Amino acid sequence: MPETRLPEQFRDLEQWMAWSLETEGERSDHRQASAMEDITAFYEAMLARMDEVLPYLEQFNLEELPDDARHLFYLTLSLAEVAPAVEQFGQPSVVDGYDIKRFVATHR
Amino acid sequence: MTTQAHNRDSGTNSTVWHEAYPELGTGPIPIEPCISAEYFELERERIYKQTWLNVGRIEQLYRPGDYFVKDLPVCDTSVILTRGRDGALHAFHNMCSHRGNKVVWDQKGSCQHFTCKFHGWSYGLNGGLRFVPDEERFCDLKKDRLGLTPIRVDAWEGFIFINLNPTPTETLTEHLGELGAGLEGYPFAQLKTCYAWHTELKANWKVLKDAFHEAYHVPFLHKRSLPDSFTSPDNPYAHAFAFKLYARNHRMSVFGNPGHQPSPVELLAHRFGASIVRRDWEMADLPPGVNPTRSPFWAFDANMIFPNFDVFVFDGTYLTHHFWPLAPDRTLWEVKTYFPDARNAAQRFSQEYSKVLLREALLEDASTLEATQSMLASGAKKEFVLQDQELLVRHGHRVIEDMVGFYRAKA
Ligand code: FES
Ligand SMILES: [Fe+2]
Repeated sequence: MPETRLPEQFRDLEQWMAWSLETEGERSDHRQASAMEDITAFYEAMLARMDEVLPYLEQFNLEELPDDARHLFYLTLSLAEVAPAVEQFGQPSVVDGYDIKRFVATHR
Repeated sequence: MTTQAHNRDSGTNSTVWHEAYPELGTGPIPIEPCISAEYFELERERIYKQTWLNVGRIEQLYRPGDYFVKDLPVCDTSVILTRGRDGALHAFHNMCSHRGNKVVWDQKGSCQHFTCKFHGWSYGLNGGLRFVPDEERFCDLKKDRLGLTPIRVDAWEGFIFINLNPTPTETLTEHLGELGAGLEGYPFAQLKTCYAWHTELKANWKVLKDAFHEAYHVPFLHKRSLPDSFTSPDNPYAHAFAFKLYARNHRMSVFGNPGHQPSPVELLAHRFGASIVRRDWEMADLPPGVNPTRSPFWAFDANMIFPNFDVFVFDGTYLTHHFWPLAPDRTLWEVKTYFPDARNAAQRFSQEYSKVLLREALLEDASTLEATQSMLASGAKKEFVLQDQELLVRHGHRVIEDMVGFYRAKA
């Protein structure tokens, strides 16, 4: 079975691989289906490493991301996805928001 | 006059904008246009079938042979947009000249010709009828008169517009007027990466559009998603600091709080790009129609192009709204947010943050509208009550009525 790994120096983040999701729809679904304490734990773990993660990702052209860096990149996109849940709403969904399932993304 | 001259370099100026536009009055405006089926039909006939409508961007027709389809139920048609061999833009009703079938069924693609799947008639990129199977069985077939029915098409700053009226009363340039001229030079062509959402809301298109044409709601509806980006202790009600009304288009320059405290992830994102809440903008090279008063409190300009196209320009990113009427109480709402193509994964992360934050604010914006529409339908009240900062709502309803003539006819 092919194992998905993160780059060597970011192996500590491998426990969050469930958040390595390619599309906004998948990331949003995962956020909406997660408990707030899991979202917050993921947020804090990622935030603590972003000062190293971003310069690492900055080296790569989007089209030429190696597999391990790609998964790390997807984790950062999930951090962007969950940030408002933690920083603004204190819950997975927008407080009193319009149903996100009806707000259809046509991008990735 | 109260317009530009009175603008102070503060978001809290005491300008009374209505004084600059006395012809609009200050009284309440009727709710009926947002619930009336009769009004809706008049809007379709007298506005949507007569006016320039933005249907896409030039990047969607990059090479000769590229095409896309825009279904326009508000105009009772479907439109094919394409770029011909000679590079010219074309628009056609998506209807076969033989027995009326829809010619193009996918939403976009690239081809040399369009072939109807019913009986195989085929049309060139310029709309001309090229091939008719079993042609000799037709009597007097005038092939040169049986091309696809053309629609007026033109482009401005890369935005593709069509007009269903075969003899438009104004050119696209005239339609865009001074508002358009002032935006020319904004780097629309450099901001090629587009993220897009759409939804069908049970609300009148004006109820939707009005929700984006004032900032009065910001400290309430957006108190969570945007707690201090567009308000400050000096400007708690998010007063826009400049308004400009043209014949049918208009603009509002929205206040940005210099004291905005970025969240931790926002700070990371802003290292690599622009966003809807970034405050350390550069403002270099922006055309005269962007932040026209050159205010240091500028966050963005909400530009509204009649009848249903909004272009909100920030420094380094812009977004658009389209409000497509479907029924008196149903609207297709499309939002697109644009960035430079991300050069690397860190920039792409930055864009993800901005688009997710925008999405959250939009989910707040949309949250009240279906409930509002259902209460408008109750008939319990007949009028909307507007304050000075809701000037664009007032102007928007006025210019629609000017074309529709619903009340004029009853007077
Ligand atoms: S309807 Fe198109 S070929 Fe007959
Ligand atoms: Fe809003």
